[in-house]
This record gives sequence, C-alpha cells and structure tokens, in this order.
Amino acid sequence: MNMSRRQRLQLVRGGIYALTIAALALLIISVDWGALGGALFKWEVVQKQFPDILTSALRNTIIFTIFGFIGGLSLGLLLAIMRLSKSKPYRWFAATYIEILRGIPLLVTLLILGFGIPIATGWSWPNPYVQGAVPLALVAGAYIAETVRAGIEAVPRGQMEAARSLGMSYTRAMVTVIIPQAFRIIVPPLTNEFVLLIKDTSLISVLGVTERTLDLARFGRNGVNDSANATPLVVAGLVYLALTIPLTQLAAWMERRSKVGRR
Amino acid sequence: MRRIQRLAVPVVALSLFLVACGSDSDTASDEATADTTAEVVTDDTMADDSASAKIDITALGLIKEGAITVCTDAPYEPFEFQDETTKEWTGFDMDLMKAIATNIGGLSLEVTVQPFDGIWLAPKAKTCDLVASAMTITEERAANALFSEPYFDADQSLLVRTEDKATLVDLASLAGKTIAVQTGTTGETYAKENAKDSTLKSFDEPAAMFLALEGKQVDAILQDLPVNGARQVKEPTKFALTATFATGEQYGFALAQDNTTLAAAVNSGLAAAKDSGEYDTIFAKYFGAKG
Repeated sequence: MNMSRRQRLQLVRGGIYALTIAALALLIISVDWGALGGALFKWEVVQKQFPDILTSALRNTIIFTIFGFIGGLSLGLLLAIMRLSKSKPYRWFAATYIEILRGIPLLVTLLILGFGIPIATGWSWPNPYVQGAVPLALVAGAYIAETVRAGIEAVPRGQMEAARSLGMSYTRAMVTVIIPQAFRIIVPPLTNEFVLLIKDTSLISVLGVTERTLDLARFGRNGVNDSANATPLVVAGLVYLALTIPLTQLAAWMERRSKVGRR
Repeated sequence: MRRIQRLAVPVVALSLFLVACGSDSDTASDEATADTTAEVVTDDTMADDSASAKIDITALGLIKEGAITVCTDAPYEPFEFQDETTKEWTGFDMDLMKAIATNIGGLSLEVTVQPFDGIWLAPKAKTCDLVASAMTITEERAANALFSEPYFDADQSLLVRTEDKATLVDLASLAGKTIAVQTGTTGETYAKENAKDSTLKSFDEPAAMFLALEGKQVDAILQDLPVNGARQVKEPTKFALTATFATGEQYGFALAQDNTTLAAAVNSGLAAAKDSGEYDTIFAKYFGAKG
C-alpha cells in the first residue's frame, strides 16, 4: 500500500468518525426512549412544576444570587485593594480572610455561620434570605477578591505611574483609572464566578427551607418526593440552564464589545 | 421507622388474627395456628395480672434453659447497643426484655446479634426465642411471625427549647411559629396535615434541625419520638419533649408462629412491667419523661 502520510491520516480520521457514528446509532437503538422519557421527562409532572418553579423557586435562586454577588463583589473589591495595599496589616488581613473562606467548603461555612453564630451569641438571623445570602456573599467575596486582584495586576504599571505623574492621588488613580480597566479584563472570570454562585445557592437549603424560600434545586428535590419521579430534577436543571446560558452569552457579547473599544 | 417508604400498615395483636384468617388461601393448619394464637393472646391479656407467677417455664420451649434468647440487629441506639464500660447489652428493647424475662419467672437474657433483613424468621429457625429489634409490626411480617402485644409506639414528638417548655405544648400553641421537620418523613406529612397555622421549615438531616432549634431559627422540631427523645436525654438542660402524636406505628417482639405459650408469657410479663411502673422507668431512661 502506497499511501501518503496525509492519506493515512484521513483514513484513520474516517475510521474514528465511522466508529463514533456507529456507537451513537447503537446507543439510540438500544435505549428504551419511552422508559427514559417516562422516568426523566413525564409530561404531567413537567406541567405540575409550573408556574411555581418560576414564580417561587427561580425567584428565590435569583434573590440569593443577586445579593450574594453584589455583596461578594463589594467585599472582593475591598479585599483586593487591601491585598495590594502597602500597609502590612491590611495585606495580612485580606490574605488570611481569602485563605480561610476559600479553603472551607461553602456547605460547612453555611452551617457554621447560619447556625453557629446564633448559638454562640444568642443573636438570630432576621430572615432566611439574609441567613443564606450573607455566608454566600462572604465566600464569594474571597473568590472574587482574587479575580479582581489579578485584574488590577494585569493593568499595565505605566497606567498608575502616568496617573500619579498627572497629580492624581493613589486612591483617585485607582478608582478612575486602574479599576475600570481591571473590570474590562475580568469580565470573563467574573461571569464564571456569577455562574458558580447561581449553582452554589442550591446549598443554602441545608439551613432549612420553608415553602416560600425554596430554591430551584430544593424545589426539584421536593418535586421528586411528591411525584415519585425524577422529572422535577430535569426541569430544575433546564431552568438553571435558561438562567446561565443567556448570562454567559451576554458576557461573551460584552467581551467582544470591550475588545472593539480598545482598538 | 422514619422514612415514608418504610411506613407499613401496623397491625395490633388482635388484627393479626383477623389478617391470618381473612385470607382464603391459607392452609387449614395455618388457620388453626392463627386461631389458637388469638385465643391465647386475648385470654391472656384479660387474666394476666395474676398469671405472671404461675407460668410453667418448662412449657415455654426455650432454646436455652433459664434464659430468653433474643435476636437483635445491634447497635441501634437507643434501642439496642453495648454499654461502653460494662460491655453489656443495653437499650430500651434490652432493658424491657430483661424486665419481662424476670417477670415471667426469674429468667435471664441472652443476646444474639443478627442482621435486620428477615430477622423475624430467626425464631422459626431456632436461632433465638424471639426478636427484640425495634421492629414495626407490619402485615407482611405478621404473616411470617407471631408478634407480641405492641410494646412501643413509634410516635411523632415535639421537641422545644427548655425555656419554652411551659408554653409550646402542642401544635395549637405553635400557631405563627416555625416548626422544623425532616424532608420526606412521616413527621413532615403529619405536620403538613395538622400544623397548618405554623411555618414549616424542612431540613435534610436531624443534626441541622437540632442546631437550628438551639440557635432559635426554629421554635420546635417535629419528628420521630426515638430521635427527639434520645437527644433530650443527652441534653436535658437545652431541650424538652412536650408532646407526642400517635401515628399508629408500633413495635412488637416477634416469635415463631407456633410458639403461642411463649407469646402469652411475654405478653403477661410486658403487662406486669407496665403495671409496676418498670416500663415507665425504662422509657424515661432512654426517651425522657413524656410531657
């Protein structure tokens, strides 16, 4: 057989494609689609999820995410600036905070803050939203701080030097010159944090949920209990996607736009 | 037990007889056995107060002389477990069985540990005289074993902080308050049906519920009596048990189907323990005083 290297490569590639298609075809034929649909996407059960899954569960997930993100972003920005500060105690505090809250699983932090603080101090959380959103924001703050710090460090040093030489104070230069540029850089990783945060809200239910504070994941799990069918979980998963996909698309658009602006 | 899937129709000793007789497919000998069972059980419950002393121990067909041998799936706190220091078998079932054995006529207690699956068949196989293993009386099990009178109501119960002991005494007093329940349990179902004026907060596991109660995130926990009770006994200064709610789930001792004499003896021993207050003492030791 006299085949060039290229021909051989094409043959191998063709073989791999053919095998993949055959495997897929086999899978499609062998799967009992009726049974699968009955177990994972039963139409009566799907219908039963609406409208509560949108009016209550999705709403709660969004509330937790928004509060968690706004809190986390403010805290993260503060921590990042502290971490880059010339003052040693600030740097030390920010570094310790970030290490601790990034190192402990959110689930454990939720339990410690959600239950431990009331037990230790006698003070109790005013409502379930605050009880869930505060630990979420505190942990998100630790992650976002590192993202923001990376963004600030990625702004060319000359920007700060130029601003200072124009007579701006350090704070003024930071706020008006460095941070706006840093944010443009960190849009993609920040979107990532936001998407992670959406999914992390599903852990808040360990603190206990009432009918009104059910988040998407817990709504799905309760649905499984009620209907003895896995469909509610699939529906909840789809609603999560309906939330995250537009968001990542928006971020991608913002990213493209910011690149255009820079030219 | 706790999970809904395991909630089976409870059968008391009398309805056991009805079930056995009600199905036409039973063989004649089975029906005969069931008949005698019912007779012995009912006769005995009526006349047992004075009978406990008169039991002929040799007629009980014990597999080991001078002792009642029980099968149990241990450890299952607080029903059966080994005492850390003495290494002796202890727990609600064990202590109650010891009292019953003594009441029957100075018998001691022997313990055989068995896995729970199909444990109710062990007396038939002569592994032990009876099963004492926190077992709910169900129709399915009653078809293959002879149950004693129920000795424990696996009820739902209300646990509150000690400072609320006097005020939060029933579901009505919890109107407008928050009750913790465990997701997917009989307790949750019960609360949904009976505590409509309270906010229900559902949790994945009991540990979080106790933390929430202690941290005042909830005002009461409604769940299985054994779970709440065991916690109350461990931390009597923090928590108080203020109410129990009947669900109809009951535990019984299981015997071989033909061992009606021993069943009668156990029932009279149990009745004697209830009369003398021994039962209440053992109950309080593991689950705290009711009310």
